Amino acid sequence: MFTGVYNFIYFLISLTVSHSQITRLYSRFTSLDKGENGTLCREDFQRIPELAINPLGDRIINTFFPEGEDQVNFRGFMRTLAHFRPIDDHEKNKDPNVSEPLNSRNNKLLFAFRLYDLDKDDKISRDELLQVLRMMVGVNISDDQLGSIADRTIQEADQDGDSCISFTEFIKVNFYTSP
Amino acid sequence: MPVRDFLSTSSKLSPFQPRYEHLLLLVCVLGTVLPLGVDCNPSAENHQINGTQKKSFPVLSFDYLHVRLPFEIALWILLASLMKLGFHLIPRLSNIVPESCLLIVVGLLVGGLIKVVGEAPPVLDSKVFFLCLLPPIILDAGYFLPIRAFSENTGTILMFAVIGTLWNSFFMGGMLYAVCQIPGTGLENVGLLPSLLFGSIISAVDPVAVLAVFEEIHINELLHILVFGESLLNDAVTVVLYHLFEEYAGVGSVTFMDVLLGVICFLVVSLGGVFMGILYGLIAAFTSRFTSHTRVIEPLFVFLYSYMAYLSAEVFHLSGIMALIACGVVMRPYVEANISQKSHTTIKYFLKMWSSVSETLIFIFLGVSTVAGPHQWNWIFVGCTLLFCLVSRVLGVIGLTSIINKFRIVKLTTKDQFIIAYGGLRGAIAFSLGFLLDKHHFPMRDMFLTAIITVIFFTVFVQGMTIRPLVELLAVKKKQETKRSINEEIHTQFLDHLLTGIEDVCGHYGHHHWKDKLSRFNKKYIKKCLIAGERSKEPQLIAFYHKMEMKQAIELVESGGIPKIPSAVSTVSMQNIKPKRALPQLSKGKEEEIRNILRSNLQRTRQRLRSYNRHTLMADPYEDAWNQMLIRRQKARQLEKRMTNYLTVPANHPDSPTMMRSRLSSDPQGYSLKLNSGNVPAIVVDPATPQSPESMKLLDESSKPGEEDQGIVMRAKLPESSRTDDNVFTPGEDSPKEQRLIRCLSDPGPPPEEEKDDEYQAFLN
Repeated sequence: MFTGVYNFIYFLISLTVSHSQITRLYSRFTSLDKGENGTLCREDFQRIPELAINPLGDRIINTFFPEGEDQVNFRGFMRTLAHFRPIDDHEKNKDPNVSEPLNSRNNKLLFAFRLYDLDKDDKISRDELLQVLRMMVGVNISDDQLGSIADRTIQEADQDGDSCISFTEFIKVNFYTSP
Repeated sequence: MPVRDFLSTSSKLSPFQPRYEHLLLLVCVLGTVLPLGVDCNPSAENHQINGTQKKSFPVLSFDYLHVRLPFEIALWILLASLMKLGFHLIPRLSNIVPESCLLIVVGLLVGGLIKVVGEAPPVLDSKVFFLCLLPPIILDAGYFLPIRAFSENTGTILMFAVIGTLWNSFFMGGMLYAVCQIPGTGLENVGLLPSLLFGSIISAVDPVAVLAVFEEIHINELLHILVFGESLLNDAVTVVLYHLFEEYAGVGSVTFMDVLLGVICFLVVSLGGVFMGILYGLIAAFTSRFTSHTRVIEPLFVFLYSYMAYLSAEVFHLSGIMALIACGVVMRPYVEANISQKSHTTIKYFLKMWSSVSETLIFIFLGVSTVAGPHQWNWIFVGCTLLFCLVSRVLGVIGLTSIINKFRIVKLTTKDQFIIAYGGLRGAIAFSLGFLLDKHHFPMRDMFLTAIITVIFFTVFVQGMTIRPLVELLAVKKKQETKRSINEEIHTQFLDHLLTGIEDVCGHYGHHHWKDKLSRFNKKYIKKCLIAGERSKEPQLIAFYHKMEMKQAIELVESGGIPKIPSAVSTVSMQNIKPKRALPQLSKGKEEEIRNILRSNLQRTRQRLRSYNRHTLMADPYEDAWNQMLIRRQKARQLEKRMTNYLTVPANHPDSPTMMRSRLSSDPQGYSLKLNSGNVPAIVVDPATPQSPESMKLLDESSKPGEEDQGIVMRAKLPESSRTDDNVFTPGEDSPKEQRLIRCLSDPGPPPEEEKDDEYQAFLN
């Protein structure tokens, strides 16, 4: 089954941050950089029209900015995007002792997990889930309804009974389809 | 007379009865068909006698001719159905041999019998095949197409379907022509165009055969959709090539202009077919918007509009298969939102039934036609056809994957390539196309037909039978049965948004960008027009949740979990609401006690292996859930006897309302106790709630049978479960919920087994 995660990991068509594409991304970077100072600020991102209507737009933008900073240079920009590079064949066969690259399966999932986990306690709580749900379904749904969805979601995924979804549980829910 | 024939046939074989009862069943059915051909003459005589003598008013008259056609059709269908039934009674056989092979063998036997009796066996008529037998199968495939998998692999599928088929046709045609030119083969009369035509007929992978074989081997979804998608989409190529070569075979010369026209024709045929399908699909969706008062005929609209799409496409010689697929895919999300649960079940059952009967008939008729048809066996031609078929398929797949893998992110491995090449089964479409050839233009038609049948038999028998062991030998990834969960749904959407966002940041307009655009457009305009009422505004997630909820409500009503009397619901569940989130924990002693009682009462669900079949409506995981629910229901009955003291809510008796009433009246404790045992969480032992402890216990036990002291999982999350369920099943609390409940209750619909996970997924995608 092509679950989202599967999709997430593999199907990033030509977004690949490979050598041939760095130039392209650099030109994209400079075109986004309205201040022309070699860094991007939040406003630069918010000016992307599609991102403005993306329900997760703000969170995605936040991922580009390390803790407490509001500027990101090209290096930082690339570091975030590197998460999305597809896994190459030759990389798969690499020595497992080398530390995991940014685009490994776990790191990709961790990236998504951190988008949920706002308070960085490595758990998705009910409220955090509710926030995401609220963003995704729009405003015309009652709180009760969303609440019951969130409850149910947590109940389904929760294994250790702490009413939160931990990263391990997150992986399990999304990964019982893959080897 | 038919009865006598029937009796004599079966009585001859009666000595075998004790030992070979299955065989007997088979032979009996053969017997029923056998008289078909025989008795038309005697019946005609009888009729005459009746007419001429006119002695007295005939008390009993005999007029078989009058009913002959429908009678024979009914008999054939009956034969097909009984055959299917018979095979599944012999699990050992159906494990080794695919059903399609067995059906062909039955067809051969029936054909042989008819021939022995001295009648001409019927041949698979192309008209019947294309107008009656094929559409149900394709509609079934199209309506339940896993869209997400399909759309993510569209490029690869199109590549295989278009370029692969073209390559196969021309390679086959060219090579055969070359072979035919070798002097001494006796094939000098086969020209270039006929051999190309033959190549185009024989090169297309057949959806019916692929479905029949692939669904039995549970291959993983990627491979399944690649081969199956190819078999569906290559229809346009086959149609165009077929008509093109047939046209020019008479003329004899092809110019560059003709080739160009052919390319344009291909675009027209495929896109026209898709357009026709989309058009009818939208009309169907629009119609279903207004059917809320005539629920009974809802399913009919789905069938009729799709059939119309198919026929309309065929009128213009467009690709009917693509029209049907497009129609099914387009109409499904809207239709499903509009129609009632019952109609949805009807659609599903009907589609499955029709497609399964059609498929059975097609294979049987293939067997019969083999016996019937005039054959012209030419060793060289047949041998070369078979050889080139295999060679071109292998070469085509290897060549194409080497190109495709440059663009794909999940590369196709060598194993995958092998299965794709090996899964290129040929089937009845090729036969019917060959049958359609005009004998005047193609004097070698019989030879062609013989070769086609040989190839079909080879692919269906040899490849179809060996593909399962090969899949196991190569350890190709199998399909994992998964249950579509709300988690998956949420995270999938989440990740889609995330990916779209990242694509936007990079300024790259990729797959997700366009998908996002499409879904926005859909949400903004199409849904409003096509879906009635407020449901059109429902976000996908909510719609999914509603479906899940509905399914559970149905389950509950079925299991007697919630009382059927609405007033009872409100009283009971209103009382439940109070301990909503801050449920106090049970005291240790009581908890242990309950746990012990539960443990002693619950038995493990037996794990048994089920064979998978496309035509079984229940998916395995669901069946498990169903069984668990049944057990839970049983347990609930036992539980309520023992647990009355702990219960705040009286557990409702599942089956008879009278018993429930009497129980309630005789056991007023159920209500009164609750008041003074406020610290006992009501929901904990309430067998009504879907996530109630014993169900969780059951899940636990069935999944990890080793762990005894897991006990009931009733920790902090229980409050949520109670909350969820109360929210869901409480009428009169606020209006949307009430509506929902009413929706559930007023249309309790079919038993829940009809819901399958992949449907949600396909629907939601």
